[in-house]
Amino acid sequence: MKPQVITLHINGRTHNIALSPNLTLLTVLRDLGYTDVKCGCEKGDCGACAILLNGVAVNSCLVLAWQADEGEIITAAGLGTIENPHPLQTAFSDAGAIQCGYCTPGMIISAKSLLDQKPHPTEAEIRDAISGNLCRCTGYAQIVQAIQSAAEKMADGGEG
Amino acid sequence: MQSEIELYRPQDLAEALTLLNQLGLDGKLLGGGTNIVSELRDGHHTGKSLIDLSRVKELRGINLQDGYIVIGGGTTITDLIDHPLICTHAGILLESARLFANPLVRNRATVAGNLTDASPAADTAPPLLALNAEVQLMSQSETRWLKLEDFITGVRKTLLQPGELMSAIRWPVPSDRSAGAYTKVGLRKADAISVLSVAVLLEIDATGMCKQAGIALGAVAPLPFRVHVAETLLIGKELKPELIAEASHLAAEACRPIDDIRGTAAYRKRITAVIVRRLLTKILEALK
Amino acid sequence: MKYQVKPLPPVDLPVLRTVGKPLRKVDAMGKAVGATVYAGDFSMPQMLLGKVFRSKHSSAHITRLDVSKARALTGVACVITGFDVPNARLVSDMPGQTGQKQRTGSDVPVLASQQVRFYGEPIALVAAETQEILDKALSLIEIDYEPLPGVYDPQEAIKPGAPVVTPPDNIVARWKIRKGNLESGFEQADLIVENTFRLPYQEHAYLEPEAGVAWMDERNVITIRVSTQVIEHFRTIARAVGVPQNKIHIQGTMVGGGFGGKEDITLEIYLALLAKHTGRPVRMVYTREESFLAHSKRHPYVIKHRTGVKKNGLITASKVEMISDSGAYPYLSPYVLLYTTVMAPGPYRIDNVHVDALSVATNNPFTSAFRGFGGPQACFAYEQQMDDIARQLHLDPLEVRKVNYLRTGDCTATGQGIESAAWLEETATRAMAALGEQRPDHGPVKIGQGFSSYFQSYGRITWLHDTSQSWVGLELDSTVTVRAGVPDLGAGQANSLCQIAAEALGVPLERVTIYSTDSALTPLSGTSTATRQLYMSGNATLMAANTVRKVLLSRASKYFEEEIEALDIADGKAFIKNDPSQTLDLVDLAKMCASEGIHLSNLALFKAPFTDPINPETGQGQVWPDFTFGSFAVEVAVDTETGEVTILKAAACHDIGRAINWASAEGQIIGGGMQGLGYSLMENMVVKEGVIQTPSLSEYLIPTSMDYPDIQAIILESGTGVGPYGAKGIGEPSLTPAAPAVASAIANAIGVSIHEIPITPEKVLAALDQSNKL
Repeated sequence: MKPQVITLHINGRTHNIALSPNLTLLTVLRDLGYTDVKCGCEKGDCGACAILLNGVAVNSCLVLAWQADEGEIITAAGLGTIENPHPLQTAFSDAGAIQCGYCTPGMIISAKSLLDQKPHPTEAEIRDAISGNLCRCTGYAQIVQAIQSAAEKMADGGEG
Repeated sequence: MQSEIELYRPQDLAEALTLLNQLGLDGKLLGGGTNIVSELRDGHHTGKSLIDLSRVKELRGINLQDGYIVIGGGTTITDLIDHPLICTHAGILLESARLFANPLVRNRATVAGNLTDASPAADTAPPLLALNAEVQLMSQSETRWLKLEDFITGVRKTLLQPGELMSAIRWPVPSDRSAGAYTKVGLRKADAISVLSVAVLLEIDATGMCKQAGIALGAVAPLPFRVHVAETLLIGKELKPELIAEASHLAAEACRPIDDIRGTAAYRKRITAVIVRRLLTKILEALK
Repeated sequence: MKYQVKPLPPVDLPVLRTVGKPLRKVDAMGKAVGATVYAGDFSMPQMLLGKVFRSKHSSAHITRLDVSKARALTGVACVITGFDVPNARLVSDMPGQTGQKQRTGSDVPVLASQQVRFYGEPIALVAAETQEILDKALSLIEIDYEPLPGVYDPQEAIKPGAPVVTPPDNIVARWKIRKGNLESGFEQADLIVENTFRLPYQEHAYLEPEAGVAWMDERNVITIRVSTQVIEHFRTIARAVGVPQNKIHIQGTMVGGGFGGKEDITLEIYLALLAKHTGRPVRMVYTREESFLAHSKRHPYVIKHRTGVKKNGLITASKVEMISDSGAYPYLSPYVLLYTTVMAPGPYRIDNVHVDALSVATNNPFTSAFRGFGGPQACFAYEQQMDDIARQLHLDPLEVRKVNYLRTGDCTATGQGIESAAWLEETATRAMAALGEQRPDHGPVKIGQGFSSYFQSYGRITWLHDTSQSWVGLELDSTVTVRAGVPDLGAGQANSLCQIAAEALGVPLERVTIYSTDSALTPLSGTSTATRQLYMSGNATLMAANTVRKVLLSRASKYFEEEIEALDIADGKAFIKNDPSQTLDLVDLAKMCASEGIHLSNLALFKAPFTDPINPETGQGQVWPDFTFGSFAVEVAVDTETGEVTILKAAACHDIGRAINWASAEGQIIGGGMQGLGYSLMENMVVKEGVIQTPSLSEYLIPTSMDYPDIQAIILESGTGVGPYGAKGIGEPSLTPAAPAVASAIANAIGVSIHEIPITPEKVLAALDQSNKL
């Protein structure tokens, strides 16, 4: 099938690009330079490619780019920068929740999605929310702590 | 190798049905995409026309209508978890939804996709079977309801005809005197494919007799199925440990499991008896 | 509480300002905001994409290989087969290997051209303009195989007449230890206990599949930007590609998880060949399925213990035999086997020891380094053996161990003296205490607690004569630069060096920047393997930083007119210890030095102890610089009807000498422990006739956030290690004791021990059935 021009709004930028229908959103995002979206399995088994699509956390490897036409996409890099990080990014950095860092962007997206819906999650809710994001380095303890601590900070009036 | 596909993105149900009608045998539905999109990488759907249903709003929703809970086929697993009607009237479906893959997948995967995929381990099938669910199949020319039990016919085989999509799923609201229980046995506590899943729904009448029974098993046969012999045994009787033991035994005998990387047939059969017994016992205690 | 916690001996640790603190790692925020660039994220102008064509047989002759159609396809830049690069072999030295018969190295053809020996063996390389063309080109490669008999069981592979995988025979390594008099040891015994233990494959399952980009520049230098634990592979690559060593330049990236799986050469050799043959940049990224096929696994072992004990538990003799499956090519199997051999008797003082070890070639997936490097297999066997001894003697597991635990001053089975603290009872009693009271059984669900103790080396084998270099410099604005060729796997390898430099030079951590992991531009610091970077490069960095510190203090002493000993540096200022109001800003001090031509940087080389190889007949001699000691405790619930095991609590207590970054040390203990828990219960790689049946993360399961409870990390600091500030290593040791602790707890719960991991529900039920029959 011929490529068609689709529109993606990514981290506040708009891209109009001609794409074949068989390309996944993951491939397209990475080709556009959003390499903070990581590829770990291309099957939805690991969560490294998680993004927010119209506010919903999804594996970008399981979405065709055409399906995201006109969609609002936020990646981990769209949540904050080194100078102005999101509270989750600060908490992950300070809690020792980051080792190799490859799962981190996807993990932070799942955490963001959780806190959007449940600003005061229990530990069980946090563990469930990140259960599709595999981490091979940390054993998860410090990640769970980081999300708890970010939730507390955000509840105390920090930015969300 | 990445599949070469045609992709259509209908805006509403009518457009989807028209496309489906036009494309005939080549038409393949793309729901949440959690199976199909990853299969494209291996060339599984080369030459197919995929119809993306994600924009078809009519297919999404959960309602109470004429004594039935009716859900749109495009309802996601996450939609189930969040919905009060499901929490109130379909505890066993809720539990299966909570243990379905992982949140990222649940946000995309749809109930119709899970049922039409017809994996022996389809997570929503056992609870929906136990709830006596029916599925609505719609084509441009016809709309029909089938019992879910009849709809799935084998490993990845269903009665869905070319030109049809699963537009809705419904089940009668269980009576106040009913209780359900669900267990999924997997090799991991999250994001696991079932080694066995069991959903049980019983209705007990005012005299303490079992009035209706639904016992459904997943991942222990070519398709998820109801164990009618065990259900029949229970109906009209008072639930007691000996009866429960016998029903559990019948359930295990009804399995036709295979050996695979997740477990042997013998293991599946053995734990089926254990889990069915435990669930019936749990219900017995809940109804006391 | 089950055991009295053993008090620690007094330790006098120096008070430090930066070292030890749980500071934010220098690499953390970049990763959190997605700014860190990994190997597969990098693009070059005119870049091609590369892919490997792999064998679909475990053992076969290649009777025909025709790549002409692939070559002719428009958009294909090159196709390389083994016939194009006949001399491309990966050979690495193995000094001291006892495998006789000329098998001196891990000699692997880069591309198989005559015969394939394992499923997935590389046969051809393709570079093309797009992914689509690349996939098409691979499908156009024509190949015919003539299947050969394969061998898939090491026990079968050593029988006469078995198919030979690589000549001259299937025994790729052999080690032995002969200490004391085994016969008389057994004669003194009141009881002899014999058991056989079986250990499985384990897959690294790092989240980042192998990736890299390579290009050749105008000087014919091939630069390879790759995710690797070992930038020193540039030498092996140069040899295989046929270029001088100074024409291969490895730019390591942040590694998205290694755990030993990126210790051997992965795809950098293919990238080098493709870049050389096309003259264009080439990127190659493995899919998850290809990653499963392409890199090594942890070695399966069968280990047999025969132990003689007195009635009080004292071990009088220990005989251990083992066989490991090396797969089709040796890679690091001889080294891994040495580790298992030397650690086989456990952290116990035993006068009479025999160990006989074999590593055997098969047509299975090849095996090599994985966190613990043969230690976890040894530990599972010796700790389960200790438990069985306790059971048979009706003694408590701790009592039996206490009688035998190694102490400082004792010798290992190879006669190496233990010089650092050996806190075994200290760690075991703390780990068990952390579990608290055991919960009661609940119907068919039985509860049990168990623990294991271990010792594990850190630092490489001492007869490999390991060195590491690090360069530390003070800039004129008083920031600090560290240059060290350290690959950072995420364990904080680079950050630790920064924290050490910050401590020595008295600047805040955020004032330190490290340039690392570049084979041409940073001093070579050796491999990020063998739990050696903190020990080796930490010491080198401390040496370099202290040299700069001395220079600064010496100039400051002139300024203050005080002795050097009276001065200190902190918070970016030199000052007089007795009168801290008198300060000299480091910026001013640096300017003084610069204007006077005083060198403000230093390149230091740290040498590990250099020893001769162990005696090949007796195994006697020093093997490693030192050991880490610790214990792991677990409480489990076992469902005796379904066989499911739930870990309720887990605690790990290790003496890590000194924590350089407290949060990082905890991260290692928890993360390594989690890999060990997965190894014990869940991770199940199914291999049939050499073919992996579980090549994805939905089939080969690793723990999710829901599976196990947080591991309580209990850090002890004896200050007695040979690393900087008395640190020991914890990267690998963290994993080693987890599996036997789980097995012990299960045995404690159900009264039957299971000597094979992973302990799947079916194995639990089989063990219960067996014991019910008896």
